[in-house]
Formats: sequence, structure tokens, C-alpha cells
Amino acid sequence: MSENQAPSSWEPKIVAIVCNWCTYAGADLAGISRIQYPPNVRIIRVPCTGRINPFYVVKALQAGADGVLVSGCHPGECHYLTGNLSARRKFATLKRFLSYIGVEGDRTMFTWVSASEGERFSQVIKGVTEAVRALGPARNLVKQL
Amino acid sequence: MDHELHTSEEIKTVENVEKKLREEAKLLLAEKKVDVLVGYEAGTLPMTATPCFITAPEEADRLVWNAFCVQNLAKFVQDLISLHRQSQQRVKPEARTRKVVGVVARGCTTRSLVIQLQERQFNRDDIFVVGVPCGGYVDKCKVAARVAGQEIREASLVGDQLSVKTAGEAKTLPLGEILADNCLTCRFNNPVISDLMIGSPAPAMAPESEYAGVEAHEKLSLAERWSYFEKEMAKCIRCNACRQVCPSCYCPVCFAEQSQPQWVGISEDETDTQVFQIMRLYHMVGRCVDCGSCVAVCPMGVDLRTFLKKLDKDVFELFGNRAGSSLEDLPPLSQFKEDDREDFIYDPQKAK
Ligand code: SF4
Ligand code: SF4
Ligand code: SF4
Ligand code: FES
Repeated sequence: MSENQAPSSWEPKIVAIVCNWCTYAGADLAGISRIQYPPNVRIIRVPCTGRINPFYVVKALQAGADGVLVSGCHPGECHYLTGNLSARRKFATLKRFLSYIGVEGDRTMFTWVSASEGERFSQVIKGVTEAVRALGPARNLVKQL
Repeated sequence: MDHELHTSEEIKTVENVEKKLREEAKLLLAEKKVDVLVGYEAGTLPMTATPCFITAPEEADRLVWNAFCVQNLAKFVQDLISLHRQSQQRVKPEARTRKVVGVVARGCTTRSLVIQLQERQFNRDDIFVVGVPCGGYVDKCKVAARVAGQEIREASLVGDQLSVKTAGEAKTLPLGEILADNCLTCRFNNPVISDLMIGSPAPAMAPESEYAGVEAHEKLSLAERWSYFEKEMAKCIRCNACRQVCPSCYCPVCFAEQSQPQWVGISEDETDTQVFQIMRLYHMVGRCVDCGSCVAVCPMGVDLRTFLKKLDKDVFELFGNRAGSSLEDLPPLSQFKEDDREDFIYDPQKAK
């Protein structure tokens, strides 16, 4: 569909909801170590992935995010012990459900990045940005103001 | 009289179950084992039964149990108990009373009760479950389709046949052709918990094909799936009836009405309705028992089941949980295992 073709100036907007203790610190480390990553990501810091209401992801998509990334501590490393394990169940079902109704699977991504993985953080952001770029601008579920 | 005496008897037909139900209801109320019994009574229109609240033995003859009993009564159990508890907060501790709510419950109703128990809405001894075997309920839309949408003037059930009369014609329809979709593939048509079981267990339905619709939908392309979702949700007028009727929807403040934060917009933009639907549907992860009440009550005929069943299927595939099927289990999103499936987690190494 030609109307879905992104204008060449289009850049994907990605909302990253990350936990304070691991991924946010990982992003910090990437910054301190001067590791480059695409500027397409807007980071929202939360205490723990267990704190993330799956509604946040849906709201971000409605508000016009082209992609949403959720990232926290690796299993076993959660600051609150098991927040990420509860979150994993929520996101496993949410991702499948959104794709079932017709939101491309790559628009909602979930991963783990620890505080020492500045390099991984940059790779994740690169990978997600490229995956979302390949999909083009989000249309489904985006509220037109 | 002891209830055990009755339970061993073979009660085969639906009419007998109804008769037995009334007898048992009288006893339960006379012996003050329950303060109120939530059941069904005949509706004012043909082919309908409405929920009723029986508080005295002499009212028990109003009770009916047949294939017109649609609504999941667990909704009222939670309502009655929580209202009673609230009312007791204004009473001095020593003057507080307890209320036992009895309920006529088929399979899906008992599953909803299990969910409410798992979610600590009340204690097991706050309720008295009068279990009834269930052979499914009639889907009025299916009947309407068979009589070209004409008004049904009279309807009667004999065995597994439904006879209907409209102004112009009389028809006899086999129940198997007009039962609701969720009943046809029901896995738990007999109660999963009960304090007293009336009649013997009903024969199994066809649970093997419960996900056939979802599997077919999964095979559609992404664009087709989105346009189906868009088309269905465009019908929704946001009347909230699906939420009102759902036994798993009892939040004191529903996200749909919450204003800080405001989860769903109230504009005419179609995404507001879509987001409302996604959120309500998603709240049913591991909590929907496929009772079909929301589908039956929807004035616009929105196909909610195709989406609810998907959540149910995923929860079973991922976590092996069937909503409300066991009192020992916890709801799937209230627990986790260390080795829960992780294949959806993004790995930048593998993605390359
Ligand atoms: S969502 Fe619908 S089918 Fe599921 S439990 Fe609630 S009313 Fe029943
Ligand atoms: S839709 Fe969600 S928030 Fe609203 S009553 Fe149901 S479960 Fe509660
Ligand atoms: S009952 Fe039907 S029309 Fe009403 S809010 Fe639910 S889906 Fe929408
Ligand atoms: S603190 Fe990082 S996921 Fe829980």
C-alpha cells in the first residue's frame, strides 16, 4: 500500500519502559561508556517491570508510539526478587494478544538488560529501532488528533 | 432431613432436576442453611429465565432450571456478599451478622465462584453451592435466525427439542442446533465445586473443538485480523453491559471509569473504543470462564468470544491453567514459575 510508505524523513518513535535497577542503569552505562545508540527511543523509568501495567503498552501505542520496548532485570536479578517473573507472564500473554488482534508483533518488544550490559542496551535499541523501521509508521490503534 | 439422601438418587431429566431443586431449596431456607438463594425464575417473555433471589421456603417454587437460563449467577453472589460486608462496617462488631448466599450453579458458574474465591472475595463458607448439571443454554440469535427474525410468541422445551410458535408458523428445533457456541464446546458443564449436587452429571459436550474458532482466526493474515477487530469493535457503543454482567468484573473502580489516570478516552475516535475493549479483554486473562454472559447481553452483537477464547488458549498453552477449574490453583497471573516460557524475549544476538 503506497499510503503506508514512510516518507524518507520519517524516524520511528520508540517508547522504552525500563526498570530503574537494571536496564536504566545499563542505559546509563552505555552513556558513560560513550556507546552509540539510535536517538529514536524515549525512556520511561519505572521501579521494576513488575510495576508496569500492561495498559501502559496499549496506551503508548494509542498515543502514537511506533514501537514499545519493555526491559528489566534478567530473571533472578530483580531488585524485588520476582517482579520480572510476574511481568514475564503478563507480557507473554499481552504480546500474543496484541498480535492476534492485528498489531504487528515487532511493535511490542520485551527483553532483559542488566546494569553491566551497556553494550547489550545499545544493541537492543539498534535492533528494535531497525525492526520498527522495517514495519513503517504505526497506523493501527493510533489515535488521530 | 439429610441432604445426602437425595444426592445418590438418579435424576435424569431436566424437569426432575427442577423439581428436586425446589425441594432442596425449601429445605435449605427452612433449615436456615442459606439466607438467600440466587437462582433463575421464568422470564416474562417466551424463551427467557431471569435471575431471582429466594429468601423464604414458600418462594422456592418460583425456581426454574432449563435451557433458557443464560446469565452466570456468580455475579450476584459477589455483589450480595460485598454489599452485605459493606453494610456491616457501620454496625458494632458484636452486632455484625454473617450472610450465607446460596446459588444455583452449573459448571461455568462454579468456575466463576472459584475465581472469586481465589481472588479472596469471600470465604468458602460464605456461599452454599447448589450444583446442577448443565446441557447448555439456547442462543436466542440462533433461534431468531431459524424463524426469519419473527417474534417468538410461545416456546416450550420437551426433551432435547425446542418448539417455538411465531405469528405465522410453528417449528421444532433440535437443541443441538441452537445452543450457544460456548455451551457446545464447554469443558466443564458439570460443577467443579458444590455443597449439594442435584441430579447426576450431564453428558460431556465437545471440548475438543473449543479452540477451533481461534485457530482459524490465527491463520488469517495480520491485515485480516486487524480489520476483523476494527469491524467488530466499531459496533460497540460502550454501554458497558459486558462488564456489568461479567462475574470476574467486580472492581470497585473499573479502569473504564477511572479518571486519574484516565485510561480510556471518551471521544468518538474509534481507537478509544478499541483501547477500552483491549483493556477489558486483557483483564480476563485466566479469569474468563467462557460463560457467554457478555456475548448474550451485548446489544450490538460484538464478537467478544473470538478474543476471549484466544486469551484462554494462550494461558493454557503457556501456563497450563484453565480458569477457575481448581480451588487449589492460583490465578495464572498471580503466580509464576522460574522456567516460564521466554521465547518471546527479544535477543539482539539472535535477531541479527
Ligand atoms: S468475559 Fe464474558 S464469557 Fe468471560 S467470564 Fe466474563 S461474562 Fe463470562
Ligand atoms: S474491566 Fe477490568 S477494571 Fe473493569 S471491572 Fe472488569 S476487571 Fe475490573
Ligand atoms: S456489551 Fe457490547 S456494545 Fe456494550 S460495551 Fe460491551 S461490547 Fe460494547
Ligand atoms: S527491579 Fe528490575 S525488573 Fe524488578
